[in-house]
Amino acid sequence: MEGEDGSESQQSRHPAGTLDPATQKRHAAMIDRLANLHQSRLQQSAARSASSAASPAFESVAAFLTRFDESGRAVEAEIKRCRDLSVDPASAPSLKPELEKVAASIADLDRLVAENSYFLPTYEVRSSLKAISVLKEALDAANSELLPRKKFSFRNKTSKKDPICLVKEIEEEKGPSSDKRVLAAVRDSPGFRNKEGSILIKHFRVSEEEEGDFTLSGLNCCEIYLKGRLRALFIHRLTNCRVYAGPVLGSILIEEVNDCLLMLASHQIRIHHATATDFYLQVRSRPIIEDCSAVRFAPYRLFYEGIDTELRDCGLGEETRNWANVDDFKWLRAVQSPNWSLIPDEELLGTVNVSDVKEQCEDK
Amino acid sequence: MGLLSIIRKIKKKEKEMRILMVGLDNSGKTTIVLKINGEDTSVISPTLGFNIKTIKYQKYSLNIWDVGGQKTIRSYWRNYFEQTDGLVWVVDSSDVRRLDDCRLELENLLKEERLAGASLLVFANKQDIQGALKPEDIVKVLNLDSMDKTRHWQIAGCSAYTGEGLLEGFDWLVQDIASRIYVLD
Repeated sequence: MEGEDGSESQQSRHPAGTLDPATQKRHAAMIDRLANLHQSRLQQSAARSASSAASPAFESVAAFLTRFDESGRAVEAEIKRCRDLSVDPASAPSLKPELEKVAASIADLDRLVAENSYFLPTYEVRSSLKAISVLKEALDAANSELLPRKKFSFRNKTSKKDPICLVKEIEEEKGPSSDKRVLAAVRDSPGFRNKEGSILIKHFRVSEEEEGDFTLSGLNCCEIYLKGRLRALFIHRLTNCRVYAGPVLGSILIEEVNDCLLMLASHQIRIHHATATDFYLQVRSRPIIEDCSAVRFAPYRLFYEGIDTELRDCGLGEETRNWANVDDFKWLRAVQSPNWSLIPDEELLGTVNVSDVKEQCEDK
Repeated sequence: MGLLSIIRKIKKKEKEMRILMVGLDNSGKTTIVLKINGEDTSVISPTLGFNIKTIKYQKYSLNIWDVGGQKTIRSYWRNYFEQTDGLVWVVDSSDVRRLDDCRLELENLLKEERLAGASLLVFANKQDIQGALKPEDIVKVLNLDSMDKTRHWQIAGCSAYTGEGLLEGFDWLVQDIASRIYVLD
């Protein structure tokens, strides 16, 4: 700008001064040049203002406000339209998606403010947020007036508590093809379930089985032998059972066992709602109990051919004495929890050799 | 609102995100956090209380609160809700029996007003175990599709044991939070 000013003042001085033709010629040439320069500058600035008009959001408060206002008014109009729609019962099914669309555009507005908040004055941010909350309230009001179905969903939820119910509901709600898979998966989970007074034996030999989980559930007065290693073990509702299991690489989750003896080896062991049960454990971390009483702990004493290698493979080869480091979630004090104790030496079982136990009964 | 904008500004300066890891016990929350931080995951005791980890992730600093999932301490989860940017819900995909508990706990959590703006990442963990439910099945059982439309959520299958899927999940979470809070980078 300064250069231009300078040359203009030069230009105004010259006509009054020399009339020498050579100088005059030079003068005319210069004026030409300056005119060209001016022209191109004008063009540039015109282009610049055009481009800034194309992206008004670029750090301009006014542009932001216009855009915000426009969108806000559009949302208001949409809500009003939804209300009008609701008068006509035929359009009722389309009402819900319409209202959801409105919710989405309000969320967009929210984002617009967040995106621009770094350059907006505090007042504008505040008033925009306030405008958004007004819109949200209007939408909520419209939602509760136009879609009063919400009341029913509450009843639905409470009735869903039963897991069997849940599975059934899924079955009903969605197409049969996709749910079969969920159901199949639920049922296929391998395990021993709902038995009484049996001897249950499972040997995990195949490498594929070693990568899977296993469930013991609803067993009463059973003896259970699990040989070989597996990834995860779930134990649920056992009464008066004896369980001897090979190493588990991941975790064991135990819930509701009563009057049992469990011999287990794992990375993690969680015990919930157990009463009067002895645990013989080899565990890499600290076992935990929750809502338990009269549970006792001792070291793992299981033997069958190959168990040493399996234990080593699962990182359970070393004695950590963690079987005695039990954390009781219902007893967070420094003194010993009354809910658990160690099995006194005179009551300890010797090594349990299950080498001769073979999978004969094929009841799965 | 004034306070909120101050917090936003401070967070923007430090590029900090607060992430809350929750889920039932035995779902693998601590293992996920340690694995993603490149730590040893072979000896992890069930969490009695909580762990906090600050992890540099991309250009952000993630403040991860890993809260124990045992029933007794679930009622304390609420103490960690304030200012949560991202919620990670971890599911043991092999624990079919407790999926219903899992859904109920998640439903309760999402009703919480202080978590209304948080992005939700659901990790369908333990995909390495044979017979674990697939992420699509978890979406169905947890009824995630019927969630409030304004919630940003994503499901990711993963295995904290092998590490598979963890980064993809966190990538989504961090991107989603960043697009809400730190748009200008």
